[in-house]
Amino acid sequence: MQVTASGGGRRALLAFFGTLVLFLYAPLAILTLFSFNDNRFVVFPIQGFTLRWYEAFLNNSDLIEALKTSGIVAAISSVFAVALGVLGSYLIVRRRFRGKGAVTGLLLAPLVIPYLVFGISLLVLFRAVDDFLKDALGVYFGLGIHSIVIGHVVVSLPYAILTIVPRLERVSISLEEAARDLGAGAAQTFRRVTLPLLAPAVVSAYLIAFTLSFDEYAIASFVAGRQETYPIFLYSSLRTRAALPQMIAVSVIVLFLSLLLIVGTEVGRWRYERRLEAAPSA
Amino acid sequence: MAGTVAEPLDTERGPRAWAATLGLLSGPVLWMLVFFLVPIVIVAAYSVGVLSLFPTDVGFNLSDWKLLLVGDSVYMSLFWKSVRMSLTVSVVVVVLAYPVAYFLALVVGKRRYVLLLLIIAPFLTSYLLRVFAWKVILGDEGILNSFLVTAGLRGPDDPLHWLLYSQFTVILVLIYVWVPFVALPIFVVLESLDHSVLEAATDLGASRWGAFWRVTFPLSLRGIGAAFVFVFIPTIGEFVTPSLVGGPSGFMFGNAIAGQFTQGIDWQKGSVLSIFLLFAVLLLISMMGRFVQLRNVRVA
Repeated sequence: MQVTASGGGRRALLAFFGTLVLFLYAPLAILTLFSFNDNRFVVFPIQGFTLRWYEAFLNNSDLIEALKTSGIVAAISSVFAVALGVLGSYLIVRRRFRGKGAVTGLLLAPLVIPYLVFGISLLVLFRAVDDFLKDALGVYFGLGIHSIVIGHVVVSLPYAILTIVPRLERVSISLEEAARDLGAGAAQTFRRVTLPLLAPAVVSAYLIAFTLSFDEYAIASFVAGRQETYPIFLYSSLRTRAALPQMIAVSVIVLFLSLLLIVGTEVGRWRYERRLEAAPSA
Repeated sequence: MAGTVAEPLDTERGPRAWAATLGLLSGPVLWMLVFFLVPIVIVAAYSVGVLSLFPTDVGFNLSDWKLLLVGDSVYMSLFWKSVRMSLTVSVVVVVLAYPVAYFLALVVGKRRYVLLLLIIAPFLTSYLLRVFAWKVILGDEGILNSFLVTAGLRGPDDPLHWLLYSQFTVILVLIYVWVPFVALPIFVVLESLDHSVLEAATDLGASRWGAFWRVTFPLSLRGIGAAFVFVFIPTIGEFVTPSLVGGPSGFMFGNAIAGQFTQGIDWQKGSVLSIFLLFAVLLLISMMGRFVQLRNVRVA
């Protein structure tokens, strides 16, 4: 007998699954529908098809600027997060040293700290550093892209580690040992053997860090200063009704791009890993 | 390559290996010390007045701590209200996600990863957008109310007000936002379940329900615990969703904290509230420690 569910149980679970999928996607579908609705207000009934909200956002230079800023912040912060994540993962999986538990805890801690508290802490840090610099040298950093990047690296790092560690654990250590036996140094072994085998996880980690940063509001809202990122711009325009339809349009574009990216990466990674798994035994 | 458990290289010993470890450590650890741990210490310093926005105000004092902890404190009642809201959200989210994770991990065959991705994908899209969708749907002149009017179910001047800007809305939206995330840790635990244990239970005469309650469910508690903690922590520190869809009655502890830094400039009080929230979270983690093995939460 099928142990986990009876025939009726199976159908009930399927129905529940379907309902939840509907609950998750209906609001997004409704937004998409209204991004094409020819009405200044986001209300029923549907008035007719238009692309003017998409045109309007293409001509909204503030919005484009905010999207660019978010793109820059996400690109830079995810490079840092992945680089530090590879180092951290290598430490956790391949090295033995005293205090490893504490180090692992520190690297993963941002997962369990409310972003609100972290954002505030970072604001307070920059303030303290600037106060000190002003007194001592008469200069200061202020807030801006650099402070958002720093914050996003901190919160992306644990996700990078959680993505890379499981992959690294499955990279057979004998491959590295073989390279060493054949005369490669530690650095060369890492670069020519370990890193290529980690590639799919590294790409996933980069994309996860990128999407996290591109969408991050809570931390950015404290440390952005006058710099507007896309989420900050989105948040402030959610309060004015006039900008609603074009904000919906841009959101729909971002939504579909990110869905495409996620599905694409997952499928790509899955295929690549299957190839890697198959290779050594061949 | 199953079974290849990575062991640290035994050849890597001696001072050179030690230096290499230190070199690897310095990057990520320094970053986290300087930009994560030190800032929290500075907030703690603000909370007791050792540091202050205005140099003239500097001086150790516990006045804001007393204000929070002693006697009738508005902040304490706000804190408990937020705890109740977050608890509701976390419990409902786990209850909704469990059958789905069970279905995917134990009932569906080959397609399970594709279907899991279908559930998780919304989590990886814009958070603000997903909150915003509900604002558009639930507002007085929103999609639902305008639909009700168009369909003749409500008069044009009589929309359902409570749909937006209420505690109910905050809870609904937070549930919506967190369900996809929670399916994952439960799925991971259920999928790694040893099927022969279940078969043994039924062979020994347990019904499906019996086997579920006495075998599957207890064995999946670890995933449930992890899921619960990883929803509770971000929602107890939530301030964005309440400020967008909560109105005054949906106001949470996080809004009080954020307000001290953005609207008011009482950084000492804000720091006290932040550190208090941090302690609350750490207390929860120490209680739920055995569930929160961070490895439970693997990213897609």
